Amino acid sequence: MSQKLEIPGISIEQFTLANGLRVVLAEDHAVPVVSVAVYYDVGSRNEKTGRTGFAHLFEHMMFQGSENVPKAAHFQYISNAGGTMNGTTSSERTNYYQTLPANQLPLALWLESDRMRSLKVTQENLDNQRQAVQEEKRLRYDNQPYVNGFLRLFEMSFKNPANAHSTIGSMEDLDAATVEDVREFFRVYYAPNNAVLTIAGDFDQEQTRTLVSRYFASIPNQPKPPAVDVSEPPEVAERQDVFYDKLAPVPAFALGWKVPPRRTPPFYALMLASHLLFEGESSRLYQKLVKGEESVVQIQGGIDERRGPSGLFIVVIPKPGNELATIRETIMQELHKLATEGPGEDEMEKLHNNLLNDGVRNRQSSLYRAQQLAEFALYDDQPELFNTELNNYLKVTGAEIKEAVAKYLDTDNRVLLDIVPAPDEAPAAATTLEPGEPEQPGSPAPQIPEPPPAEPELSVKQPATAASKLEPPLPAQSDGS
Amino acid sequence: MTEEEAFRLAAPQPLPPRPLNIPEFVESKLDNGLQIVIVEDNRLPLVSFRLAFRTGDSADPSDLPGLTDMMTALLNEGTESRASLQIAEEVERLGAVLSAGANSDYTTIAASSLSLYQDQILELLADIALHPSFPENEIELTRENGKQMLIQQRAQANFLAGEKVAGVIYGQHPYATVSPTPASLDAMTRSTFADFHRASIVPNQAVMIVVGDVVRDTVIDRINRLFGQWQQRPPVAVNFPPAPVRTRRSAYVVDRPGSAQSNIVIANLGINRTNPDFFSMLVLNTILGSNASSRLFMNLREDKGYTYGAYSSLDARRVLGSFRATAEVRTAVTGDSLKEFFYELERIRDEDVSEKEILNAKSYLTGVFPLRLETQEGLVDQLVQIKMMDLPRDHLHIYRDRVNAVTVEDIRRVAQKYVTPDKAAVVVVGDAASVVDQITPYTSEIEVYDTEGQPKPNTVTA
Repeated sequence: MSQKLEIPGISIEQFTLANGLRVVLAEDHAVPVVSVAVYYDVGSRNEKTGRTGFAHLFEHMMFQGSENVPKAAHFQYISNAGGTMNGTTSSERTNYYQTLPANQLPLALWLESDRMRSLKVTQENLDNQRQAVQEEKRLRYDNQPYVNGFLRLFEMSFKNPANAHSTIGSMEDLDAATVEDVREFFRVYYAPNNAVLTIAGDFDQEQTRTLVSRYFASIPNQPKPPAVDVSEPPEVAERQDVFYDKLAPVPAFALGWKVPPRRTPPFYALMLASHLLFEGESSRLYQKLVKGEESVVQIQGGIDERRGPSGLFIVVIPKPGNELATIRETIMQELHKLATEGPGEDEMEKLHNNLLNDGVRNRQSSLYRAQQLAEFALYDDQPELFNTELNNYLKVTGAEIKEAVAKYLDTDNRVLLDIVPAPDEAPAAATTLEPGEPEQPGSPAPQIPEPPPAEPELSVKQPATAASKLEPPLPAQSDGS
Repeated sequence: MTEEEAFRLAAPQPLPPRPLNIPEFVESKLDNGLQIVIVEDNRLPLVSFRLAFRTGDSADPSDLPGLTDMMTALLNEGTESRASLQIAEEVERLGAVLSAGANSDYTTIAASSLSLYQDQILELLADIALHPSFPENEIELTRENGKQMLIQQRAQANFLAGEKVAGVIYGQHPYATVSPTPASLDAMTRSTFADFHRASIVPNQAVMIVVGDVVRDTVIDRINRLFGQWQQRPPVAVNFPPAPVRTRRSAYVVDRPGSAQSNIVIANLGINRTNPDFFSMLVLNTILGSNASSRLFMNLREDKGYTYGAYSSLDARRVLGSFRATAEVRTAVTGDSLKEFFYELERIRDEDVSEKEILNAKSYLTGVFPLRLETQEGLVDQLVQIKMMDLPRDHLHIYRDRVNAVTVEDIRRVAQKYVTPDKAAVVVVGDAASVVDQITPYTSEIEVYDTEGQPKPNTVTA
């Protein structure tokens, strides 16, 4: 087995303001940089029928000005202070974050508190951001091969509309959003008692407590938002479908399974199982299909991690000339094999070392620390899980992986979607769907798209993995943040 | 807001600045010319290695585009002593990462792991760098998958835009090439790879960068044992044809019928990385379009709502470069977007930027600089740049001073020299039937191509 490695914990302080805002501080002085994250407990799962995409549209409105900060000045203030920032929306939460030179911490607190207490909403700004979001939808979904098809998978998996509909929403619902919707959403969900503030990096703890209290303590709390029901029956909504994609050059298919919520024993086991199945070149499915049979050009998979029922998916681009059904059969055989024989000892060692390496490497970044702390604080009320959650993965046994795969993946209770290139005269893919819910829920959209490199010398094409040697066409699995 | 909360009216003053300790590196060199750069950093039990070579895609023979990319892709697909699967399993059992890739100017092999596995991962790095065996079956598989990837790329608008821009701006210069072709993939054989590897992967063209929880003398000793026998070779001579000189504005439409958007790129030749105007262009680019508070984003997205994001970029490579303005806009406002692009490109030429704008841009560039040094990967990237792009040894120390030295006059001067919208190549990937008429007011010279790069008759304005 792997050698022993002690990962040093990080310092974590937490307190709650009288108005209910949960605050987490993680101080360290390695680099004079500070990251500030505000997470609100609202995502696409909270959206009402007829308002899909609203949580994300609202996220854009949070950059459109508040009592003392003009429209788009948030971008300006942060950039001009030498910082970077963004916001994203997922099914679970909406987050806002910035990384700044350490001495600019007060600026971030001023900006975040001003919009938490006094967002300004105008029809003109709403119309402008609606357009930006609709272009975002065209750029990231409608003008890309496979993406809308892939997102259809989530509608087929989930029966509960709160889980099934997408984060980006439909054009029609985006068009329908009103200024009144924005004001009401702000009142209900953007209250200090529905949020978490985390600060990670180089700061002075006492001074920071004073600053946090100065900027946030007087913001009034609100009644607790209505609870959201994300319960699901175990069975998937729709087992099989075909998606006609005008942009897809070759046929592809996707498989999806409904799996238990995050931070449950089977979820931990399935995360590790998914690593063994499709992460990296030594993974079982890569070796079987891309290498062994040479029947597949690309295989990608992932888990959409949620507080409620979550999703595990695999997307495959076969090599033309191969039977899709045969490839699917091979995948199911591999799942069955893992479900009956379990992982080998060498695979367990691989999992342990990967968990340790990733666990240590990720925490170099103050933004990563701020974001992880915020999730554990928001979802679990336990930011200290940052230091201990790794153990829940490390202690998973091979038998538990085997059991979880048998119960949740080696089953007919799965979704199968064929993505078929649509001939030009066929109806466009987007119009074959019911209006209102064509995409995936777990796909947060950053407020600011990745710009082309400001200085191309800094964004050298990173040494690529086998799966991305030539720019993979498949969508990123879930969290863009 | 109550009176006691008057502090909310204006942005707060920053706290006293906290010092940034620029990491110091030590250098060494093996007898065969392999340079070594080391930063000892024991904050976390991690190590990052990067072996970088001064040869990249631009060194591809003109009849074999993609050779460097294919050769690097094959490095971890088999060595004299390890099969492809064995490499993957050994690396992943360590929880480590080992990968190779190239850009137009250089090639890198990256390896990272927990520091307790540093010897094993470095040995694997050495094995794939020095002893690749280019097995026939792996060549065949990589070739076949590469052809499929070419098909996938052609379905993506941003690939088509990048390909067309590179071709138009760089002409016969190898920077024009962005991907292999089916024919070049077919023409590459095992001996092509072996010969090319022998000629281009040489120690006297390489730097080994090490950042992390290492002991300097121990790691130098280990590098010497693994790489000391590697033979020097004279570097491959390069003689690049010049890029074309543009004399007027013209448009290149890649027809993608039914496209949901138009991908617009307005481009000109720019500067190479060591050009003395680099920092002036860097500040100019920040004001014009590098981020969400720049002029282009504020205009095309925040004011007009044409796009999710509009940017400019300074693409400064070792021998040449380009300057580009880009956005993906809805088809109906393709012409309106060109109008705003040209307005902004002319404005930065014709008017001085304000003192406030230049101050803000400098503050941005100097402020985000330390963010890059937070992680081992970020620091390694910086060191690779210094070594591969011929930057001064004290680059990390002088970067912020160089940025701060740029003046309003410098910006005006470089804008007039390098931002030349009247000679620009305007590339639009979108629905030709809908966009050609919208482009006509900005240039009457419009060439239309299909997604395979073949010219099409321009029927719209014929």
